[in-house]
Amino acid sequence: MSEEKAEKLSGKGTLGLVIFGPILGMFYICLLPLIALMTLLIALPQLATAKKTDILENSAICMGCHSSQEFTKTFRNKEKMSVFVNGNDLKSSVHRFLSCTDCHGKISPNTHPGNSGMYEDRAAFALAMVSACRKCHSDAQLRAKPNHAFLTNKTNGPPCTGCHGAHAIRSIAEWKPASAGNNQYCLTCHSQNISKKHKNGETLSLHIDPSKLASSVHNGHDCSDCHSEYSRNSHPVKEFASSRTHSIAVSEACRRCHPDKYQAVRESIHSKMISEGNLKAPVCTDCHGFHSVGPKETYETLSGVPCRKCHEDIFKLYSKSVHGMAKAKGTHNAPLCYSCHFAHEVKVTAMTEKIKGACLGCHKDAEAAHTKWLPNAALHLSAVACAACHSPGSGKGIYLRLYDRETGEPFTEDQMAKLMGTTAEGLAGKLDPHGDGIESEELWSIVRQMNEKGSGAKVTFFGRMDVSTGAEAHQLSLKKNAVKECENCHSQGSDFFKSVTVAVVKADGRLTRYKAKPEVLGSMFSLLSLKQFYVLGSTRLKVLDWIGILMVFGGMAVPIAHITLRAVTSPIREAKRLNKLRKEGKR
Amino acid sequence: MKRIYLHPLPVRIWHWVNAVSFVVLIVTGLQIRYREILGLMKFREAVDIHNFFGFVLIFNFFIWLVYYIVTGKIRIYIPPLNLKKFVMGSLKQARYYGYGLLMGEQNPHHSTPDNKFNPMQQMAYLAIMLLLIPLQLVSGLLLWDAKRFADFINLAGGIKIVDTVHVFLFLFFLSFIFVHIYLATLGHTATAHIKAMFTGYEELEEEHGH
Repeated sequence: MSEEKAEKLSGKGTLGLVIFGPILGMFYICLLPLIALMTLLIALPQLATAKKTDILENSAICMGCHSSQEFTKTFRNKEKMSVFVNGNDLKSSVHRFLSCTDCHGKISPNTHPGNSGMYEDRAAFALAMVSACRKCHSDAQLRAKPNHAFLTNKTNGPPCTGCHGAHAIRSIAEWKPASAGNNQYCLTCHSQNISKKHKNGETLSLHIDPSKLASSVHNGHDCSDCHSEYSRNSHPVKEFASSRTHSIAVSEACRRCHPDKYQAVRESIHSKMISEGNLKAPVCTDCHGFHSVGPKETYETLSGVPCRKCHEDIFKLYSKSVHGMAKAKGTHNAPLCYSCHFAHEVKVTAMTEKIKGACLGCHKDAEAAHTKWLPNAALHLSAVACAACHSPGSGKGIYLRLYDRETGEPFTEDQMAKLMGTTAEGLAGKLDPHGDGIESEELWSIVRQMNEKGSGAKVTFFGRMDVSTGAEAHQLSLKKNAVKECENCHSQGSDFFKSVTVAVVKADGRLTRYKAKPEVLGSMFSLLSLKQFYVLGSTRLKVLDWIGILMVFGGMAVPIAHITLRAVTSPIREAKRLNKLRKEGKR
Repeated sequence: MKRIYLHPLPVRIWHWVNAVSFVVLIVTGLQIRYREILGLMKFREAVDIHNFFGFVLIFNFFIWLVYYIVTGKIRIYIPPLNLKKFVMGSLKQARYYGYGLLMGEQNPHHSTPDNKFNPMQQMAYLAIMLLLIPLQLVSGLLLWDAKRFADFINLAGGIKIVDTVHVFLFLFFLSFIFVHIYLATLGHTATAHIKAMFTGYEELEEEHGH
C-alpha cells in the first residue's frame, strides 16, 4: 500500500513540476520589485538616519571652520559677511540630506578659502547662489505659484535666500501651516525683508513688522479685510507708477469701514489738491501709516500729530504759541491743528468766518469780554481777525474782498473771472493790468467791470484786517500781549494799513493775494470802490482833508475880509456921522 | 434905552448847550480824524466824549424841535412864501452887509420875537436846522454803531459815504461858526447880540424918526 502511494505521488510530482514550475517562477519574478520596494520602505528610515548623521559627517571638513563664529568673508567692496553656519539650523532644515558641496559646488579644498574676491558684494553673492537652488527647483515648479512667478520674472527680484534664508530652510508645512490664521499665512513671506519696485524706480517695502501690526488698532483684522483681493488662493500682482499713486490707491481700502471719514476727507482741501493732480497732498496712509494705525489719541499729541510732516514751519510757530505751550505742559483741552482745522475735512481758513468760530468755540466769553472794553466790539470782531490782534509780532494788513451786496456772499475766483469775461488764469491781468500793484483807478475799474458784465450783480468790496501770512495766525499769545491801543489802527500812516491786498478766494477756500497800493484806501476812487470799508483816522479821504482846509480858511476869510472892509471904510462912516451931528447941531 | 425880549429861556438854554456841544464835538472830531497831528487826548477818550456829546446834540435838537413846533414859533424860520418879497428882502439884506453897513446905514431888518431873522438868516437857519443838523445827527448815529445800523448804512450807499457826509458837514459847521460868531458881533455894539443870548433881552439903539 505504501509503495503504491509513493509511486502515485512521484508520478504526480513530476507532472506538477513541469506545469507549475514556470508559473511559480513567473510569479516570483513579478513579486521581486514589490519585495524590493518593501525592503526599501523598511530600510529607508534607517537610510535617512544614516544620511542625517552623514550631512555633518560629510561636511565635517567644512564645519571644522564654519562652526566657528570668528571667520568672515570680505567682498570686493570691502563688505564683510560672517561665514558661520549653525549646525543645528542645518540639521533641522529640509536640506539635511544634502551635503555642503551640493549647493556650494564651486568650492574645492584646493582653492578654498582664498577666493573671497569672486563677488562684488553680499547681494551679488546671494544672487549667484540662486543657481544652486535652481539645480533642484525647476522654473516650472517656481512658476506654478503666482508670487514666485512674479518674483522670478522680475529682473531685480529678491534672491531665494531673501525669503527662505540660507541654511535654516524649513519645509513648506512649517512655512505655511494650514492651521495658522490668515495673517500668519501672509506674514510667512511679508515678515521677510521683501520689496518691490514701482514703475518710476521707487522701492516699496513689502515687509510688515508683525509687532507693529499687533499693536495697531487693526490687530483684530485679517490682512484681506483691507487687501480684499488677496487670500490664500489669490495673490494678484499689481503695479503702480510711483509710491504716491500706490498710497492713493491703497487708501481707498479705508473707505469700506470708515465711509464718514472718507466723505469728510473728500471735502477737504487735501482731496481737492489730489484731484487736481497735486499728488503731494496727503491721503489716509500719510497721516495714519499703513499697518501701524494707532488709536485716535496717537494723533492728538504734539509728537504724534501728523500735520507737522508737511506743515513744519507752521507747527514751529504753533509750538511757541500760547496754545502750543499749554499743550506741551499737558493741558488736555489746549487746541492742536485739528481743533481749528478739523482732522479730515481740512479746510483753508483764511478769509473765512470759520476760524473765528473755532476761536469762539473755546473762548465762549470772548465776545462779552471784548464788549466790556472795546467800543463797537461786534464791528471790530467782524472786521478784524482774532489773530490780527492776538498774534504779537505778526505782520498785518488790509484784505479787500469782493462781495455781492444783495446776498452778502463773497465772490469766488471763478465767479469773478466769469463776470470779468476771463478765466481764473487771466484774472491777474484783469485785476492788476500793469502788474505793479493795483492802483486806485484799477480797483474802481474792477468793480465797474463786474457790475457791467454781471447780470445785475451789485459788486462791492468789503475790507478786513488780518495777519500777513497764514502761518502768522498760529503765533497766538496771551491776552496781555494782544494789541489793545486804538491808536495802532486808528491813525493815518498806521503800519497795519500799509499792506493792502485784494483777496481772491477759490471755491475751495484757497487764497490768491493781489497786492494793491496802500493809497487806494484814501483815494477819491475809494468813494466808489470801497464804499463799505472805512476805518476812523486811517482810511480817510485825502481830498476831503484839502476841502476841509479850504472851507475853514473860507469861513475865516469872511470875517477877516469884512473887518478889513470896515476898517477901510471907517473914514466914510466917520464923515457921515460928523455930517449928521453937524446937521443936528444946525437944527 | 429900549429893550426887547428876543430869546426866551428855553431857546437860550438850547443855544448854549448846542454851542458847547459843537465846540466839544469839533475838537474831539478833529482828534479822532487827525490822530497823528493832534495829541489832546487818547483816541478812545475822544470817541467816548464825541459819542456823549453827539447824543446831547440829538436830545437838544428835539428840545428845539418840540419847543418851536408846540409854541408855533417855527414860523420865524420860514421865509416869506411870496418869492418876490423873499428875494427883495434877501437882496436888501445882502446889500446891507456888503455896502450899507460899511456906509454907516441902519440894518434893514429889525428883530422882534415874531420876526427874529432876516430873510438870509431864515434861509440859512432853515436849511441848517431842518436839513444839515438832522443829516449830521443821523450820519453820526449810524457811525456810532455801524453794526447795528448796517442796513441803513447800506441804504445810504456804504459806511464810507456816510462818513464822508458826516465829515463834510462837520467841515461846513466848523467854517460856518467863524461867520456865525462874526455876525453876532454886528449888533449896535459888538457884544449886544451876544449879551442878548445870555439875558434874552436885545437892547435897541435909540433911533430917531422910527
